[in-house]
Amino acid sequence: MMRFTRFLKTEVEVVVGRHVLAENDAIVFIHPSIAKVAGVKDGDTVELERKGRVVRLKAKISEIAPENGCFIPNGIYASYLADLDNFKRFKANIEVSDGEVTKVEDIMKELSKS
Amino acid sequence: MSFAFKLLNREKKLEDCKPLFEDPKYSENRKKLEELLKPLEEATETGLIVKEELCVGCGNCVVVCPVHVADDPHGAGVGRGPTIEDPILRVENGVVKIVNMNKCRRYGKNRILCVACRDNCPSEAISFLEG
Amino acid sequence: MICPGCSCLCDDIEIIDNVVRNACRRGAELFLKYKENRATPRVNGKEVDVDKAIEAAIDILKDSKNPAIYGFDTTPVEVQELAVKLAEKLNTYIDDNSSFCLGDLVEIVLKKEVPTTTLDDVRDYAYVIMYWGANPYQSLSRHMSRYTYYPRGKERQKGYEEDRFLVVIDIRRSETSMLAKTNARYIIVKNDLELIDSFFKYMEGKPAKYADDVAAIIRELKKSNFNVIFGGLGLKYGLKDLKPFIDLVKKLNEISPTYFIPTGFHANMRGFNETLFEKTGFVNKYSFRENKSDKSFAFTELLKNDLIDSALIVGTDPVKSLPFEVALKLKKIKTIVIDPRNSLTSRIADVVIPSAISGIEQGGTMVRCDGVRVKLETIEEVEVNDYYVMNKILEGI
Repeated sequence: MMRFTRFLKTEVEVVVGRHVLAENDAIVFIHPSIAKVAGVKDGDTVELERKGRVVRLKAKISEIAPENGCFIPNGIYASYLADLDNFKRFKANIEVSDGEVTKVEDIMKELSKS
Repeated sequence: MSFAFKLLNREKKLEDCKPLFEDPKYSENRKKLEELLKPLEEATETGLIVKEELCVGCGNCVVVCPVHVADDPHGAGVGRGPTIEDPILRVENGVVKIVNMNKCRRYGKNRILCVACRDNCPSEAISFLEG
Repeated sequence: MICPGCSCLCDDIEIIDNVVRNACRRGAELFLKYKENRATPRVNGKEVDVDKAIEAAIDILKDSKNPAIYGFDTTPVEVQELAVKLAEKLNTYIDDNSSFCLGDLVEIVLKKEVPTTTLDDVRDYAYVIMYWGANPYQSLSRHMSRYTYYPRGKERQKGYEEDRFLVVIDIRRSETSMLAKTNARYIIVKNDLELIDSFFKYMEGKPAKYADDVAAIIRELKKSNFNVIFGGLGLKYGLKDLKPFIDLVKKLNEISPTYFIPTGFHANMRGFNETLFEKTGFVNKYSFRENKSDKSFAFTELLKNDLIDSALIVGTDPVKSLPFEVALKLKKIKTIVIDPRNSLTSRIADVVIPSAISGIEQGGTMVRCDGVRVKLETIEEVEVNDYYVMNKILEGI
């Protein structure tokens, strides 16, 4: 399959916070403004990369995300991308992905290998 | 035309139209009508629909309801869970449930278009048939 | 029944015919699913008797040169007191989630740098209600319906449309901001200092970035004699230093009495802050060796700088909720986890000790986000709870 989006890596601002319904889900809420730019449709799997760490999450287009940015619920996926100096708000790269959504086990496996 | 109106007002049911169910040449139309009328089944007498998968149980709807404020001034009216036995809405197991629609101001002959619960639901879990 | 789900500590929960009434989704799940995913006692991954696990924990702490005590935000005050006692006995570090959460905001209240009030008084008297960097819809779901914007009160009989003015300040269109409709204001702010600055500039008659919003708020403040600002994580992380905010609150009080309450999240985070404050004069990040509190004594900093060789982690899950670099450091030291459930941290822990869920299986006192103390009730008591474990550890040291 031709991946036109392979070249559409977009930098986004990510905000992390509480979300009752999506607390343990591999989900990222993407603002419509950035979804257009990054070529993301509702339900796509997207890859978020920051400082060499990558997670794949299910995209949901929503206005609860900051404009030109994304919102990730508190949890292991947000923790995996964040660092102590950029805990609840940081920049990451986003692009549409063909891959499978990251599982908690994948991150725990990486932790146990370290 | 009047049958259509009576259908929407729940005064008549689709089953009341005998030819629709008995004559096989109308089976396509019957299926289409049943599809169209499905939301009606899910809505209450007042046209109120709750999408439970969007509800986090914040209780705004319970507390803003003008009927609750009048009938339960020391309960829902001041933010507590309803202390009356038959409130219109109550949060049960974390999501809002319709308990007694009869008291809702949208119900019955003298109904009015009250939208307090819907307008204060931040996740649009509450909606009405008319929009 | 009191719900121990968050720092709202709602006291109107009823359980009738196995249906939980009035609790929000988070609280209801606690009551409905408390028997699920329970931890079992383990040492180095192997299941053992709980007393053996406690002995193994005592051995780790005894052999450790620099242990850290961490967590306790979901345990009652009486257990937190035992934690402080243990940290003192071990002459070591103690910290909780508030060091990266709302500890700073609780501190300015306890040190009386800003005036404060109770949620009950907010319901009865408050007109202007400001949520600054907080999204109570998700973190404290019933906050607005139980205590602030929606309920009627003694001097707020006409309800939210006439007797309340809601202000929501956030970096994004949160669910809470959707409620700022009539008689309300939603201010989108990327830089909190700019908003604070706008207040001062406007009051000095100078041009300001948020002049319209500030003018509206000040106009409303003048209409009443009781207003409140709720500060959340957005405020804490939006400002490197809280001094400008403290100055703002002081300035607003010249116009009209304006109180401050930290929004909160963990059921008893404020309890930990108050317990430690009473003993040491500090709310978190404390070292009994140095007899002081410092940024470098935060649990995350101690790990980052390799200053500890063991950690007692109680009622919290740092592998899940803290940045991955913390999890990597935790793997390198000896960890003891006391938790009613199987957390992600317990998967890498050397010792896992099961415990009881506060407010359902063990009682005690918890402190609401506004400082009001509540006495928890229980559905069923269990023998192996935080009191049992902590007392045994204290005896063994």
